[in-house]
Amino acid sequence: MRIVNPSFGIAPQSEGTATAGPVDWANDPIILFSNNKPNAKELLEGVRDRLSSIRRVDNIDYIAKSSASQPAPPEMINEVARKYRIALLALGD
Amino acid sequence: MSDTAETETLDIPEMDADAWADFVEAQGWTDGLPTVVPSEAAVARMMDGARGDNEPFAAITPRQLIPTLQSLAANAVMAGCRPAYFPVVLAALRGVLVADYNLHGSLATTHSCAPMVMVNGPLRQALNINCGTNCFGQGWRANAAIGRALQLVLNNVGGAKPAIMDRSTFGSPAKYTFCFGENEEESPFAPYHVRQGFRAEESVVTVMSAEPNHNLNDHGSTTGQGLLTTFAGAIASPAANTIYAKGPYFIILGPEHAATLARDNWTVEQIQQFLYDTACVPLSQVSVENRRIYEEAGHFPENDAYKVAPTPEDIHVAVAGGAGKHSAWIPSFGGTAAISIRVKPPAAG
Repeated sequence: MRIVNPSFGIAPQSEGTATAGPVDWANDPIILFSNNKPNAKELLEGVRDRLSSIRRVDNIDYIAKSSASQPAPPEMINEVARKYRIALLALGD
Repeated sequence: MSDTAETETLDIPEMDADAWADFVEAQGWTDGLPTVVPSEAAVARMMDGARGDNEPFAAITPRQLIPTLQSLAANAVMAGCRPAYFPVVLAALRGVLVADYNLHGSLATTHSCAPMVMVNGPLRQALNINCGTNCFGQGWRANAAIGRALQLVLNNVGGAKPAIMDRSTFGSPAKYTFCFGENEEESPFAPYHVRQGFRAEESVVTVMSAEPNHNLNDHGSTTGQGLLTTFAGAIASPAANTIYAKGPYFIILGPEHAATLARDNWTVEQIQQFLYDTACVPLSQVSVENRRIYEEAGHFPENDAYKVAPTPEDIHVAVAGGAGKHSAWIPSFGGTAAISIRVKPPAAG
């Protein structure tokens, strides 16, 4: 028998694919990006502590979106993309 | 669970009801209950219920696919909708796709929210949507099928599969369906949609990412002030998402409570203001750790208590239900909004 597929949908037109060049994990600036839950900050602080044993950390910064339940605003993402080469995200509940 | 190939129609072997139920379960297309077969003929009849509606839809998160009217109709068929329900399903979908509703956040969260669907206007009666006794409960096909159809769309087109993309710690029964109508006939206030700027003769769907209804029992209070004092105490919860004061909530007045409030000359605006001022969580009920987190987020106590709504206008008042000294509080997900969308009647012909 023939049915209509209830999961069918059409992919939107792609806005293109961004490509990033190779990163230097020892020197490139890193942003630690939190979803604004308390455990995310703990996770990211732990990552920063670990990184301190293998690289400089004066160019590792921390940022949190304003609400755990809402997406980061585009201007925040654009600013992060402009200033940093690496973003480490934590979703901590 | 896995989806079959992404074609709009699928040829599958002939099967009986039991085999169909197993097939749908294997595809991950069901909420767990049996579904109606979305044959091409049944889907065509469903689409006829929305003839003339050519407004495109946005992509549905998290799969980010744009639905077709046909795939939406297939879900409505599966949910048990009559074709006349379909415009209400489409309006509800358009509502949850408004950015302020925050569909992705509300689908992926660990919170137990589900899309609340409230219907206003003449379609309530035309479709026999229960607005009165047991309006949040079982027994009415329209309430059951409209809310279910929206959930199936989010599951099947949107890909919000439970325990995969839908990460709710508990979920809730409202994830099967959460659709009701305002009891405009027994409300002493202007209908909710009219207060939102729509005409009384228009039918309107209001959606909000919400917990199921929390009952507000008050058999003792005989004044509006007394009832609101009881409600405020229940709404002032240190463990609801509203504690962050970043989102709306609904207060659904039972007709008897609504009549008491109107008799005592309470307006909707006064009810909103009273609850905004009074439904506050005392500092003593908030842990030291949470106080620190709220302060970091810029949410500070006022007079040793935390407000639970951003503004009085974020407290939405409607009337529903039947006889009895009960009202209901419907807390939101928090990071969401109450969105009202006019239902498009099908074109003539």
